[in-house]
Amino acid sequence: MAKHHVTATLNGNAVEYLCETQQTLLDVLRDELQLTGTKEGCGTGDCGACSVTVDGRLVCSCLVLGVEAQGKKIETIEGMAAGESLHPLQRKFLEHAALQCGVCTPGVLIASRALLARNPDPTEEEVRFWLAGNLCRCTGYNKIIEAVLDAAREMRGS
Amino acid sequence: MDAKTINPQEKTLKVVGTRPVRPDGVPKVTGLARYGADFALPGMLWGDILRSPHAHARIRSIDTAKARALPGVKAVITAADFPEQKYEFIGPERVAVNFWHMTRNIMAREKVLYEGHAVAAVAAINKAVASAALRLIEVDYEPLPHVIDVDAAMRPDAPLLFEDMITRGVEPAPDRPSNVSKRIEFKLGDPEAGFAAADEIVEMSFKTAPVHQGYIEPHGCLARFDAEGQGEIWASSQGHFVVRAYVARLLGMNIGDVLVHPAEIGGGFGGKTVIYVEPVAALLSRKTGHPVKIVMSREDVFKSTGPTSGSSMTVKIGVKRDGRIVAADGVFKFQAGAFPGSPVMNATMCGFAPYDIPNVRSVGYDVVSNRPKSAAYRAPGSPISAYAVESTMDAVAAKIGMDPLKFRLMNACKSGTQTAWGPKHAHDGCAETIKAVLDHPAYAAPLGKNQGRGVASGFWFNNGGESSATVHVTEDGSVAVATGSMDIGGSRASMAMMAAETLGVAYDQVRAIVADTASIGYTHVTGGSRVTFATGIAVVEACNKVIAELCTRAAMIWNVDRGEVVWEGGCARHTGQNAGKIEPLTLKAIAAKRAVTGGPIGAEASVNAGGAAPGFATELCDVEVDPETGSVKILRFIVAQDVGRAIHPSYVEGQLHGGVVQGIGWALNEEYIYDAAGHLLNAGFLDYRIPVASDLPMIEAVLVEVPNPNHPFGVKGAGEVNIVPSMAAVANAVNNAIGRRLTELPMSPPKVLAALDSGSKG
Amino acid sequence: MAQASARVVLISSLSRHYTDGTKEFEIEAKTLYDVIRALDQRYPGLGEHLEEETSVAIDGEIYEVAYFHALRPGCEIFFIPKIEGG
Repeated sequence: MAKHHVTATLNGNAVEYLCETQQTLLDVLRDELQLTGTKEGCGTGDCGACSVTVDGRLVCSCLVLGVEAQGKKIETIEGMAAGESLHPLQRKFLEHAALQCGVCTPGVLIASRALLARNPDPTEEEVRFWLAGNLCRCTGYNKIIEAVLDAAREMRGS
Repeated sequence: MDAKTINPQEKTLKVVGTRPVRPDGVPKVTGLARYGADFALPGMLWGDILRSPHAHARIRSIDTAKARALPGVKAVITAADFPEQKYEFIGPERVAVNFWHMTRNIMAREKVLYEGHAVAAVAAINKAVASAALRLIEVDYEPLPHVIDVDAAMRPDAPLLFEDMITRGVEPAPDRPSNVSKRIEFKLGDPEAGFAAADEIVEMSFKTAPVHQGYIEPHGCLARFDAEGQGEIWASSQGHFVVRAYVARLLGMNIGDVLVHPAEIGGGFGGKTVIYVEPVAALLSRKTGHPVKIVMSREDVFKSTGPTSGSSMTVKIGVKRDGRIVAADGVFKFQAGAFPGSPVMNATMCGFAPYDIPNVRSVGYDVVSNRPKSAAYRAPGSPISAYAVESTMDAVAAKIGMDPLKFRLMNACKSGTQTAWGPKHAHDGCAETIKAVLDHPAYAAPLGKNQGRGVASGFWFNNGGESSATVHVTEDGSVAVATGSMDIGGSRASMAMMAAETLGVAYDQVRAIVADTASIGYTHVTGGSRVTFATGIAVVEACNKVIAELCTRAAMIWNVDRGEVVWEGGCARHTGQNAGKIEPLTLKAIAAKRAVTGGPIGAEASVNAGGAAPGFATELCDVEVDPETGSVKILRFIVAQDVGRAIHPSYVEGQLHGGVVQGIGWALNEEYIYDAAGHLLNAGFLDYRIPVASDLPMIEAVLVEVPNPNHPFGVKGAGEVNIVPSMAAVANAVNNAIGRRLTELPMSPPKVLAALDSGSKG
Repeated sequence: MAQASARVVLISSLSRHYTDGTKEFEIEAKTLYDVIRALDQRYPGLGEHLEEETSVAIDGEIYEVAYFHALRPGCEIFFIPKIEGG
């Protein structure tokens, strides 16, 4: 069967790719576009390591088909920093040692950014429940939560 | 090792103990760090592995003809393509490697021994073709009765995995085969007499289910092997030197012909100290002449890689009325999985190790059963026996009306205390961690309705072993440190910090990397809490060699006697009659003169580090139990651990947080659930429920520091012991909350409800 | 020059296999090398096993087995199963 031709916007740039019907957006990002920052932890939408945003909406890219991205704006971890400047969340994660092995980190960062876009002043509980879909096995979540709250504080300018 | 431990009273530490940003941090937060599944090479093929649908079956035949004929398929292999291995146990008895077993775990030969056991593999032009090819492989199985539960596997009528397995460690040897691979016993004093003299005795039995290490990154690798006989592998593992050694052995190659690149690793916890896909990818690559990539699915990870053992245990403790323990007995039966090698020996040694008990018997059974071969999981074996021992300790304390921490403190081991397995303890730390919790204000905090508090202590060995490090001074005086230790949790930062401290330079002047197997000397696995200890020693030794060389160069530059030069504050200084008149030389200044003084400046150090101090941890857990649902909420969790000295406190705290949370999951939710046919029902993160952010409060880590004199900075391994007391702490808290003692893990809501309803007392 | 003696203990499985059950030995030795050679002379094959498959606790302090460990007179040496973690 012929592949599908998809055009979309990826991290602010126009992108086009060919994909098979059954390929997920995650497969496309990693295998067709060589953007391996988004990780596959489970392939079934349970771990959040593959989190990206599609038209501003936080999704598991393993649950989105490559063809569904047609005409949409996709944002991945590779687009989070602005040139030389890390996003405050990225900086705070480093300062707070909020990552150990780092494999869940891209997904957690994307999810955290999506949270702060909707709710710039979350409570600890709100952060924990928002990130419940991002599994981390190394950190016990402590320093992740601290980093997100600290980044939120800085982004609010307080 | 003759580096003297720096006494902070004598010399203030400038870098060690601070919290700088790790040198590998930016790639990890920008998606640029490359893990095992992130590599690609031109012309790369995708590999996939066919796995047994049966828990136990004889393989009558495998027909790969149709698969080989599928367009796009470049190779199909089975166990017949791997050389046979001699049957012998090699290496440490506690984790004895038997390559006869290992090659069969990599790919089944006569039988499949668990659902998910690898049977064949293909390499194809893309994932879809590889997957389709697997479906075309015809395996003729003769299903056999299976057994999974450890007690069931020990019954005389249990189906046998190996018809010739005679239990080792029993005199005289049994005349019939069984599933018991080994029996171990440690004995101290006279337990029978000890129990006879006890005022109170508590005996309890416990069961735990197998749990998986749960790393978020599945196993994955890329292999490029050529027909001429050399190859490279990019793999995420906890030990690329071990990957190299095992792949070479399994493929019948010289170790030197295999080069392993250390990919970043997305969690291991012991589960990646062994290999699964690497030799398969290597063989497929050699056969096809192309690079081959294999990445496991999450389902394959759960079904085909080693969870730790499920267990069945009985613990008996006898005390005098004043609280002194006079006798202890433990019987620990562990699932080894499809091949021998559970961590039961560790469990038998660690269980009673925190205490000074004159009469102890500790017995372990290593039992095979039809589930994946067990792999190491964070302080392997110790958390399991600690669950049984620490729950029993709690019951004993309650029986004699004594505070559970004071009871532990009264009996705590210290330097000089006799262990049950022979030597005397050589290090303190146990009592210190108990006191840290006893003195914590939270210990006296009041509890509300349906709430309970539990405490527990634990012990773990911590490893030393072989490590290598190189330290080079670059042309502008910055420092490049390389080690052979995979960085699983931030160790590149600690290596750079220890080097900076030793050399007397700023942290930002030092960069640390992980080198591949061809670029640095043998280094043992990143596991066993050994890296900051053993690899740290290698780094410091290499730095000391570099310092000696820098002084030699300075003497040349100044044209003075070498004996008149010392290294201090990051500079070479002259101590002779012209001291004070000659400007000290920085690294940068000496590096600028390197060519005229002899060439590049650098050194390597390889060590076989000994004198690792064990880990002790004491933990406090407050819970609230919902009597309607049986759900247990963690309100508070404090972990006090003796870390010797924390090089980078944030990463040490991170280890304590992480281990505790794994223990919480183990206590409350995680378990392998099998159906009647031996199929795993919950092979995914939805139903294999690990803790998520909303399950937990902030974990409080208390770093107790009793420095280890055998390490230049006093380091004690920190990665593992934190998980050891966790399940018992939770179990004791639940018991305290509901007045019933659950003796089976996990304490999932249905079990808690059942305990509440049945009124089973603790 | 007289060598001091060390008390050397093997765990049960080692003694069962190699020394007909004898677990404890008094051995005159200055280094661990001396101990291993002495045991291997009495029980051929034991030396290699000790080198490859055990760790050693010298006065409680645990080390990998290495020839050069100096021993103080009257020290206590236990050969124990090698330790592996996760």
